Amino acid sequence: MTETPVKVLVVDDAATVRLYHTSLLSEAGFAVEEAANGLEAVEAALTTAFDLFVVDVNMPKMNGYTCVETLRSETVGTPAPVLMISTEDRPGDAERAYAAGANLYMVKPVSAERLVRVARMLTAGRGIPA
Amino acid sequence: MNPLLAQFLAEAADLLTSVDEGLLQLERDPGDPELVNEVFRAAHTFKGSSGLFDFPELTRLTHAAEDLLDAVRGGKLDLDSGMTDDLLAAFDLIRGWLAHVTQHERLPASAGADAAILITKLRGPLGGDATTPVVEKAPIVHVIAPPPEWLSHFEQEWLDATATWLTTTSSTLRFARYLPDEGCFFRAEDPLHLISQVPALARIAVVPPDEWPSPDDYDEYACLIGFVLATRAGHGELDHLFRYVPDQVEVVELDGDALRRFLNGEVAPEPVEAADAPVVDDPQDPAVVEDAYAILAAAQTSLRDQQEVGGVRLASIAHSIASAAAALGDISELSDLNAEQLTETVNRLLGSTPAPPAAPPPPALIERSAPEERIDRGRADDPGGQVGTKILKVDQEKVDHLMELVGELNVAKNGLTFLADSAEEEFGSRVLSRRIKDQYSGLHRIAEELQAAVMDVRMLPLSVAFSRFPRLVRDLSRRLGKNIELVMEGEDTMADKDVIEALADPLVHLVRNSLDHGIELPDERTAAGKPPQARITLSAVADGDAVVVEIADDGRGIDPVKVKRKAYEKGLISEEELESMGDQEAVELVFRAGFSTADQVSDLSGRGVGMDAVRASVEKLGGTVTMKSELGTGSVTRLRLPLSMAVTQVMVVSVAGQRFGIPVDLVVETVRVPGGEIGRVLHQDVVVLRGEVVPVIDLAAALRMPWTPDENDDRRILIVSLHGQRVGLLVEQFHREVDVILKPMEGLLAYADEFSGTALLGDGLVLLVLNMKEVLGLAARAA
Repeated sequence: MTETPVKVLVVDDAATVRLYHTSLLSEAGFAVEEAANGLEAVEAALTTAFDLFVVDVNMPKMNGYTCVETLRSETVGTPAPVLMISTEDRPGDAERAYAAGANLYMVKPVSAERLVRVARMLTAGRGIPA
Repeated sequence: MNPLLAQFLAEAADLLTSVDEGLLQLERDPGDPELVNEVFRAAHTFKGSSGLFDFPELTRLTHAAEDLLDAVRGGKLDLDSGMTDDLLAAFDLIRGWLAHVTQHERLPASAGADAAILITKLRGPLGGDATTPVVEKAPIVHVIAPPPEWLSHFEQEWLDATATWLTTTSSTLRFARYLPDEGCFFRAEDPLHLISQVPALARIAVVPPDEWPSPDDYDEYACLIGFVLATRAGHGELDHLFRYVPDQVEVVELDGDALRRFLNGEVAPEPVEAADAPVVDDPQDPAVVEDAYAILAAAQTSLRDQQEVGGVRLASIAHSIASAAAALGDISELSDLNAEQLTETVNRLLGSTPAPPAAPPPPALIERSAPEERIDRGRADDPGGQVGTKILKVDQEKVDHLMELVGELNVAKNGLTFLADSAEEEFGSRVLSRRIKDQYSGLHRIAEELQAAVMDVRMLPLSVAFSRFPRLVRDLSRRLGKNIELVMEGEDTMADKDVIEALADPLVHLVRNSLDHGIELPDERTAAGKPPQARITLSAVADGDAVVVEIADDGRGIDPVKVKRKAYEKGLISEEELESMGDQEAVELVFRAGFSTADQVSDLSGRGVGMDAVRASVEKLGGTVTMKSELGTGSVTRLRLPLSMAVTQVMVVSVAGQRFGIPVDLVVETVRVPGGEIGRVLHQDVVVLRGEVVPVIDLAAALRMPWTPDENDDRRILIVSLHGQRVGLLVEQFHREVDVILKPMEGLLAYADEFSGTALLGDGLVLLVLNMKEVLGLAARAA
């Protein structure tokens, strides 16, 4: 059975966090690409069809909320699942993420197991309607 | 060091630089929201990344800084210089910590106390308001787990001592049990190696199997033992380390109390699911169920809060519901459902009644009008674009190594010309010789391009050398009570990294000199009719294959009369020179060894090394330094350096059968004169060239090599120019000019000052390159 790898875009301005998420996900078998801010993420999403986005909230140039909104807007229009991972745990943050179009909001640090488990769960069927 | 920590340290260095620069700019331009935002973001990133490691003090301190900056950003506070000082102090402390982490992979013992002082200071302006409790919620605070039964594998005594220690320091340790799979060796897992990689390991013990097999059944390829270990490393680090074998590892965080409870016999029953490796999509796994519910709850929120859910969003929500449902063992076809049906499905899956009425939609909903426009603006802001550019951070040593290899390739390439010669001369094949030469020219072109490409990689902007000055000028001018504005121009000018690195010390010296001696106190300036705020300008421009760096100040300038008198008193110039010397020449006297204009050795500059050291280090780079000064209006020091010092052009000469290299930029001309034309003035040989008397130095004598020119032969003299003075070098033979990669003298030869380095020639010979200044000194002593 030939299976194309599940493509994930990790979006975070902190290189360390990016490395952490990227190495966890690529060792779990995902094909991971990186973007350092929302704008780069949107650019990447315009040329590549990702199966999952892992997005930080506070980033320069374009923050996570705007990034997710743009991914969901007609400009990009991807229905692929979006995980938002943030340092902030303030009331209203999660609602804001969901309003923007995220599928799950998690607070850093997210354990390795949980990140991989959720990523697998959300991409299990990959029956993502185009 | 594990790669994650290495990445963090590299990132931290960048962040610290941008925080420092940002804060200093803010002091000048306090209201700039963009700057506040930038510094805030750096502090925020710091906090987020540090949370992956066990650096609670670092996380707390950056959090405090972030809160203060957040208040400034939100307009609740105005940043004053006291706050800036505290912020700078906080980041200085962090810089010190990181140096410690680089060496020991943990924070220094004093971190807690130092952090507490600064946190109090940073939180001072915020008052006791609502931001304080947030500290308690910092993500680093982990849940203390109940003590597992396997702690019994540690020695009782050690557990006892550790419990006491953890209680007194109110800290925690992470305890892990790693039970490698029996067949792990066949999957290329190496438990021992893995264990040896655990950072900040406090204790380790072996878990023997419940029962050892009998010797007859013993299988040496089965891993039967496990490990328990205690470490100060953070959860993130452990997760990263054990990422290949998460199912074989169990980690708990325990404090002193928990350990004490264990020692008193209160053991929590071992959770069943932790003992067995959880299958990720097993619907029975409570963690999976929990995550699935979290996703469903998120979908519920999205469906509830949005009156009109568009097609893409609906598809995405449907997909996430389907995924969660599948994980829970409920396969449903959801893609064609509308919002109401989806809500129903979610409610059914969550087994709950609809959630309480919706809160008013957050502001993000209202302003999510025109995302396209935002993208365009983002692009317009960033025309050259970091967007999409891929930047690779490479270890400096790798680039150096690459450069060395290019040098060796050049040498090997040059060997072909010798081969071509011998093909013709020894083997009499002109055709072969020409073919080799053809090959050579192809190879030569590629090697040149390769060399240019590697040189280009080594180019860095001057801003690397300039970046430390805003801070330095700020701190020193405060200490001296002077009011100084630092202006930097042309920071984008590029130069080779070696040039930039070597430039750092001379620049610091020159800027300190300006600050200390050049710039007057504000009162003095006002009295002289100048604005009280002085200005130091650092500028860089590329000029052909050189870069020119200028340090200019509008201070008191240099008094040529005073300088001359001083030089005379110190015996640096003769009475005659004192009378006749022009002003420009006088100003340049400050570069002479042993000269210092300050009457008192001040705190900042003039610690024994003066401008002569600056000149020496600039000349070592193959550059020149000049100074112009006008009394009362200021001074300008100009450094001219080669853009790259990787390749040096040298002229090859020989004396006593031995070849030496002399940097081509020093060479003026080569002359041949009959032996009789060498004259003598006092003890010095001289030659008269176009009416000018040029001293001639016997290179062989200076280097103490046995050689005397044949009486009847013409004398071959190489005229070089040093500090504007012409000197002739008597040599045996001139050879060609070559491009060489100069390698510094190393090891025992490092003290051979008369040579500036060695270079390998194409025929395999090593060429010694002369340091002309030292050679002239030797000649003077030999005479």
